[in-house]
Amino acid sequence: MNPFKPKKDRRLGVAEGKRQYDLPLNKSIGTGFLVVLIALMTFLAIMALGTSFALGSMTQRWSSGLENKATIEVPAEKNDSDLRTKNEVNALVERVEQKLSDQPYIKSVTALDQGDIQALIEPWLGQGEILDNIPLPGLLSVELQISNESSLAKLTKTLAEIDETIRLDTHESWLGDLLRLTGALQFAAGFVLLIIGFTTVAAVAGAIRTRMAVHNEEVELLHLMGAGDGYITRQLQRHALMIGLKGSLVGLIAGLIVLGLIALIAGDTGAALLPDFHIQLGHIIGMIIVPTLICIIASMAARFTVLRVLAQMP
Amino acid sequence: MIKFEHVGLRYGVGPEVLTDIDFTLEPGSFHFLTGPSGSGKTSLMTLMYLGRKPTRGLVTMFGQNINQMERDKLATLRQRIGVVFQDFRLLNHLSAFDNVALPLRIAGRPEKEIKDNVDELLEWVGLGEHKNVLPLTMSGGQQQRVAIARAVIARPKLLLADEPTGNLDDEIGFRLMNLFDQLNRMGTTIVIATHNQKIMDEFGHSRLVLDSGTLKIEAPKNWIQKKIEGVF
Ligand SMILES: Nc1ncnc2c1ncn2[C@@H]1O[C@H](COP(=O)(O)OP(=O)(O)OP(=O)(O)O)[C@@H](O)[C@H]1O
Ligand SMILES: [Mg+2]
Repeated sequence: MNPFKPKKDRRLGVAEGKRQYDLPLNKSIGTGFLVVLIALMTFLAIMALGTSFALGSMTQRWSSGLENKATIEVPAEKNDSDLRTKNEVNALVERVEQKLSDQPYIKSVTALDQGDIQALIEPWLGQGEILDNIPLPGLLSVELQISNESSLAKLTKTLAEIDETIRLDTHESWLGDLLRLTGALQFAAGFVLLIIGFTTVAAVAGAIRTRMAVHNEEVELLHLMGAGDGYITRQLQRHALMIGLKGSLVGLIAGLIVLGLIALIAGDTGAALLPDFHIQLGHIIGMIIVPTLICIIASMAARFTVLRVLAQMP
Repeated sequence: MIKFEHVGLRYGVGPEVLTDIDFTLEPGSFHFLTGPSGSGKTSLMTLMYLGRKPTRGLVTMFGQNINQMERDKLATLRQRIGVVFQDFRLLNHLSAFDNVALPLRIAGRPEKEIKDNVDELLEWVGLGEHKNVLPLTMSGGQQQRVAIARAVIARPKLLLADEPTGNLDDEIGFRLMNLFDQLNRMGTTIVIATHNQKIMDEFGHSRLVLDSGTLKIEAPKNWIQKKIEGVF
């Protein structure tokens, strides 16, 4: 019997069954920790991305809803702190409404009902006598054909002709502030994502370097038996990828659940300030990209770490 | 096959363990490497399986200067060298089967072929019953046989065995020497480091004798006798 005699029929076979890694990676200490860490990173990334998306749709709603609109206020007081009577205010409001309704650059103008205005301040003052007697300003909401300097200048002029005290509020200043704020928050969210990326790289690279040190004998043996750098790298890369997959999946699910809960609570309180989360296709793609990216980052970090360690072997 | 020219090796800043080693091994030859303990047998083996680079001198393997070889070429070259380490170096988390299968897997052979070949070889070295056993639960002799099986499974062009029969009784020792002989007859160059006089006498191959860092080649003691036997 000669065990070295070539046997042709044996070459037809295909790989069957699964086997363990050549390196004892599955039993490595710290694998669980790394999974948890990556799950946390993914969770944080999902939260940051969710916040960023919410801020995005919020600003979008605000700016599209308010862009061409302005509010005109007929103050309840004249210049020298004399109060106007209700009728005086109403008369002024009516004049403004009439005057503006046939201006070409105005799309629409609506006077707010006194009852509406009362309803607005009712929560602070309560119903009853005071509310009836308190001097209330008149409010009109106008929508311009186009919101540009010249039409706004014309509007200001027309209002000044009616009465010097009438004020125009174009929302622009506070909307600008809000947009700047949300922009800054979105930038912060992006920054958080970046930090998460770096942390993942550092954590995976560190873990892989530890594994290489712990299993140095095995790695060296494979190297001596003629295993190419690719063969050894693939094992550790696959190991890192599995950790990445496990961790990021857990993080993704946890993140989505928490985002869903926030949306639910926000919807319940009916807080008008919070935008409702309209799930868009882009958002879904973004949420899928996060764990995918984390997996890619983990696997690449592992790859380069292993190659660097292997380069030190003859 | 192997050519060493003025090769020296030192570990770190220590003294030269090997000084001025000069020899050539022809393809298909069979040699014993012998010498007192600490004379540098394992060190010389390490140079031959490319586990270290010499601190000086020129090493040529398979006709190529190893100092000028690219990294992946070196890996391919190592795949053609089978090594039985003095301390076995088995992977303790893998079964005897998977340990022996390792060289074939590194070479990317199909799993069916691996299974058949490994099963047969394990049977041959008397470990058919132990294929799923982990190395740490095996006796020294059993581990040694796994190490030998792993070294020969891929039919290497060069086999380097460091004290391969150290933990084995004479019967299994001779059986394994026959395995090496068979491999040699199929064209594998073989170097076996050993102290075992009985085996060296029985298999009359040339001897590389290491002493205080230098190497000299001795013709087999019963070489003439063997020749005569061959003639008649
Ligand atoms: N990794 C190492 N680092 C430093 N010195 C070493 C190393 N390996 C071996 N040596 C030294 O090199 C010399 C030769 O050792 P080597 O293991 O090659 O001898 P050997 O002939 O194989 O001995 P034995 O017959 O006992 O196996 C010894 O003096 C030893 O101390
Ligand atoms: Mg030795």
